[in-house]
Amino acid sequence: MAMVEIGHFALVLAFALALVQTAVPFAGARIGDERLMAAGGPITIAGFLATAFAFAVLTSAYVQSDFSVLNVWENSHSLKPMLYKITGTWGNHEGSMLLWVVILTFFGAMVALFSANLPASLRADVLSVQGLIGAAFLLFVLTTSNPFTRLIPAPFEGRDLNPILQDIGLAIHPPLLYLGYVGFSVCFSFAAAALIEGRIDAAWARWVRPWTLAAWMFLTGGIAMGSYWAYYELGWGGFWFWDPVENASFMPWLAGTALLHSAIVMEKRSALKIWSVLLAILTFSLSLLGTFLVRSGVLTSVHAFATDPSRGVFILAILTLFIGGSLALFALRAGTLTAGGLFHPISREGSLVLNNLFLTTATATVLVGTLYPLLLEAVTGDKISVGAPFFNLTFGPVMLPLLVAVPFGPLLAWKRGDLLAVSQRLFAAFAVAIFATLLVLMLVDSAGAFAAAGVGLSAWLILGPLTDLAMKAAVGSVPVAVSLRRLIGLPRSIIGTALGHLGLGLTTLGIVCTLAFQVEHITVMKPGETTDIGSRQIRFEGFSPVQGPNFTETRALFTAIAADRSESGRVSAAKRVYTARQMPTTEAGILTLGLSQLYVSLGDPTDDGGIVVRIWWKPLVTLIWLGALVMMAGAGVSLTDRRLRVGAPSRRSRAGKANAEVSA
Amino acid sequence: MTRKQKRLAVIGGALVFLGAATALTFYALGQKASYFFMPADLQAASLSPGQRIRLGGLVEPGSIRRGQGTQVSFAVTDTDKSVPVTYTGILPDLFREGQGVITEGTLGADGVFEADSVLAKHDETYMPKEVADSLKEKGIWQEETPGSGS
Amino acid sequence: MLFLIVAALLTVGASLAVLLPLTKQVSRVATADAHDIEVYRDQLQELERDAGRGLIAPAEAVEARTEIARRLLRISAGGDTQADRHGSPLAARAVGVAAVLAVPLVSWGLYATLGSPTLPDAPLSARLAENPKDQSIDELVARAEAHLAGNPEDGRGWDVLAPIYARMQRQQDAVAAYRHAIRLLGDSAERQAGLGEALAGMAAGLVTAEASAALRRAIELDPANSKARFFLAVAMAQDGRLAEAKAAWQAMAAALPENDAWRGAAENAVAEADRRLAAASPAQQPAPGPTQQDIDAAAELSSQDRTAMIETMVAGLDARLRENPQDEEGWARLIRSYVVLGKSDEAGDALKRGVAALDGAAAARLTTLAASLGLVATE
Repeated sequence: MAMVEIGHFALVLAFALALVQTAVPFAGARIGDERLMAAGGPITIAGFLATAFAFAVLTSAYVQSDFSVLNVWENSHSLKPMLYKITGTWGNHEGSMLLWVVILTFFGAMVALFSANLPASLRADVLSVQGLIGAAFLLFVLTTSNPFTRLIPAPFEGRDLNPILQDIGLAIHPPLLYLGYVGFSVCFSFAAAALIEGRIDAAWARWVRPWTLAAWMFLTGGIAMGSYWAYYELGWGGFWFWDPVENASFMPWLAGTALLHSAIVMEKRSALKIWSVLLAILTFSLSLLGTFLVRSGVLTSVHAFATDPSRGVFILAILTLFIGGSLALFALRAGTLTAGGLFHPISREGSLVLNNLFLTTATATVLVGTLYPLLLEAVTGDKISVGAPFFNLTFGPVMLPLLVAVPFGPLLAWKRGDLLAVSQRLFAAFAVAIFATLLVLMLVDSAGAFAAAGVGLSAWLILGPLTDLAMKAAVGSVPVAVSLRRLIGLPRSIIGTALGHLGLGLTTLGIVCTLAFQVEHITVMKPGETTDIGSRQIRFEGFSPVQGPNFTETRALFTAIAADRSESGRVSAAKRVYTARQMPTTEAGILTLGLSQLYVSLGDPTDDGGIVVRIWWKPLVTLIWLGALVMMAGAGVSLTDRRLRVGAPSRRSRAGKANAEVSA
Repeated sequence: MTRKQKRLAVIGGALVFLGAATALTFYALGQKASYFFMPADLQAASLSPGQRIRLGGLVEPGSIRRGQGTQVSFAVTDTDKSVPVTYTGILPDLFREGQGVITEGTLGADGVFEADSVLAKHDETYMPKEVADSLKEKGIWQEETPGSGS
Repeated sequence: MLFLIVAALLTVGASLAVLLPLTKQVSRVATADAHDIEVYRDQLQELERDAGRGLIAPAEAVEARTEIARRLLRISAGGDTQADRHGSPLAARAVGVAAVLAVPLVSWGLYATLGSPTLPDAPLSARLAENPKDQSIDELVARAEAHLAGNPEDGRGWDVLAPIYARMQRQQDAVAAYRHAIRLLGDSAERQAGLGEALAGMAAGLVTAEASAALRRAIELDPANSKARFFLAVAMAQDGRLAEAKAAWQAMAAALPENDAWRGAAENAVAEADRRLAAASPAQQPAPGPTQQDIDAAAELSSQDRTAMIETMVAGLDARLRENPQDEEGWARLIRSYVVLGKSDEAGDALKRGVAALDGAAAARLTTLAASLGLVATE
């Protein structure tokens, strides 16, 4: 059989289909031919099937250790565990770009399947723009990053995947991240289609918002997963490094969050139309920029598999085409779009505008911090690095007022709100937040004013959304059963908003507690010795050698001892050597106690039989990622809101019935 | 206030905020960005005391000395000049003699670089970009042998 | 052939995905304005709900209602804002034909330049199942490795593989394989001697304490084991006991039959030892390189023994430089040898020792040499 070549052919076929997908619906919309417009759907789905088939073939080549495929030889090894053979498919530049395209065509197919209620010409234009993005990236994959390049004669052993990428976190991180990145392409296509059409339908925001929500949900998960991976795999105990690669995924998230909020105003009040369209373009542009930064090798880091300049130039050309083209289209057409409803500065709309102002400014600071070193080096040749100190000074002050304002937003009325009344309702939450601040100041010796205020802010962020839900369910003023029923009966988007904000509060609490109250201790330990870490102790039991499937490691066993001298658990950290690449790695040991973690990382052995050990006590650190999960849940709940499915004439009767039920 | 005045006030507030954010960003870029140096460039550089910089180069063979407990000192060289470095903590897995490395910290008055972070390459085909570029300029770096990079 | 059939089928499928929708009659879908009316109606209903929940003040609700009603009216008054475009059927047909043709033309055209349709798959399991006679040594090793990955307790497998690894210069794998074989099949002089040799190979020919222990164990089991005797003598030479080493090699050579490969190796070693003993003041002379005799002898040896000999010479140079480090040319040759042998770690180690031993200018020249050998780039 020649499956590999058939997979390669399917990928070429997908490119041909993407070209047709770009041309046929577009031509249909321009000359007003319904058949041409309708053909966009099946073509898009066929393109997705061809791409997915190619990806399946590549995966199967990995599973079977087919070293006649250059990409498999470079990144796999016959003795690698099966899971990492599969995940190795996207653990390298070529494979991950193919995954990118698979997800892009997947979203295209989803639009084709679930857009029957869209106006025919808008649908045609959306699919056409999706097709153009797909064609550009398929051509990139085929000509500069082809994963199906063959290697003859085939070697008998592969070169193995970079060991630090052999991890379950990395198995999930790129697909989630790409689902997020690429999901925003749908928002972009809708924006571009609206500009091509020269009109923004009233339902535009309702069509775009589910895609934004889904993409945002995946991106949140992807970023959180990447952060947790860096936390436990790199052995430095940090959860965010302001690394350019991290920023590359964080910028679309910030812009996407802004889009999520501006789209609410648009769908409810038909205001902020032009801004939302621009934001949709910017969000996906930042996704493309992220792809460029990570994939072009401009930033040399563990993520940059590519160092071939032709790839960088190619992606830069794609970037220029789509960002430049869409912005030019925007400049040309924005004038023809009509403005929407009016509102008072103090109102729900006003709070959402404020949210957008802060979020886009925050995005801009991250963008400057990420690109400035690149520009400076290109212009003057000076090499600088912009790290945490820069972002703490810029991103922090911009985000802080936004966080304080978050609980107010959902409580403000549309069009004209009463800030005083809202403050009164939030009084309890505010009182608890102040109380928490004072409590921390008094009880925790090491706590400074900033740390205490941070805890207070987190409490405020957590209690605000809960207050909002309690108010809307009339908890306390009606019997429990009634308020519970009212809570369940609330529109899903309200519950989703509250969950999203609650998650933000939990993440903030985790970050504040970890940064302010973590205890770090570096020392040399010999077997049998005990050392203090905060109010706890940790005992070094000894070493044991372990033989893994493709590595050998020296494992160091520790016992954690609680303040009351009882053993609270065991933790083992290791120094590992991967045989194929002879590459040493450090495997951190993590013991989760409640929401907090004990983190042990090994250094070099000393001459007298001891070993350098770095131990952290990280209070409430897991909340950082649990908060992200809660945010994802919020987005998921919002996705089920019925409002997002209104806007289709054919569904009028059913929607009407649903309304009747709700109002009854 | 009329509606128009209100709108002007809102727009004015937004502009003030944006202006403040821009000013802050450029102030932070001037203050918080750390410049990258190779040992030979360091003498020509005018550094204010306590300024954070990044020092990159190769770990000079034979220079690693382990001190008390977790203290370690080594020298970073560009094969021309070399700078002594002290560091307390755990060195990265791939920290070896002759290896590319980037340290971040401050240069003391005694000429000893006090590092608070040490970065080595992530895998055997990766050389920190700044170090690789500088070595290439000096003609010391050779392109990787075929097949070793991807 | 099969490839062509499958590729043709895929192409037909893709073309049909383009062609079929173009032949179907499409029912007229609702105009964009119908969608807008639907949304505005829903916004009105939602406004009532929000007002009921107190999310919007009554006065503002009235205002908002007027706004929405005005938009509704504008649509009804304007009729269909988009001109009803009826495209020319001719243009549509041309686009359709071009699209259907583009699929096979683009895909086959592009694949012809990118693909290699004649190359079959090569999954590892199928390749390992091929007839062993047709396979290269690499393939046989890969097959054995695959077997041992599934049956790690097969001592005989490790026993067979260990010397092959050693011959392939995969010293680390050889050490692991010898250890497995010893654990599973027990001690034997061959295995211990092989282990000792592989350990020395890992250390670039330097007979380490660990290697010596294995070699001595081999001698205990079989006092006549040539390999163990040879390398134990190398160890003596490295320790500076050159005379003792020479005696050991001489005794060894005398005991072996004329045509034994080890006898040649031992005699060469004796000659080398003589030369070094004769050189009264080695500091004044550049370290001697291999003589023509050495090279001839090396050519006659089997590849395994040749490797051993090269390693011995490098190890000898290494040991000499330990005794007498003030020899720039010697260090340069040692570093070059290690690089040639692919032992970059040892090369780095030698570089370090050389730089430590030599004065500034010489040390700098050595560092530059090392860099030119790619020690910097590949390390």
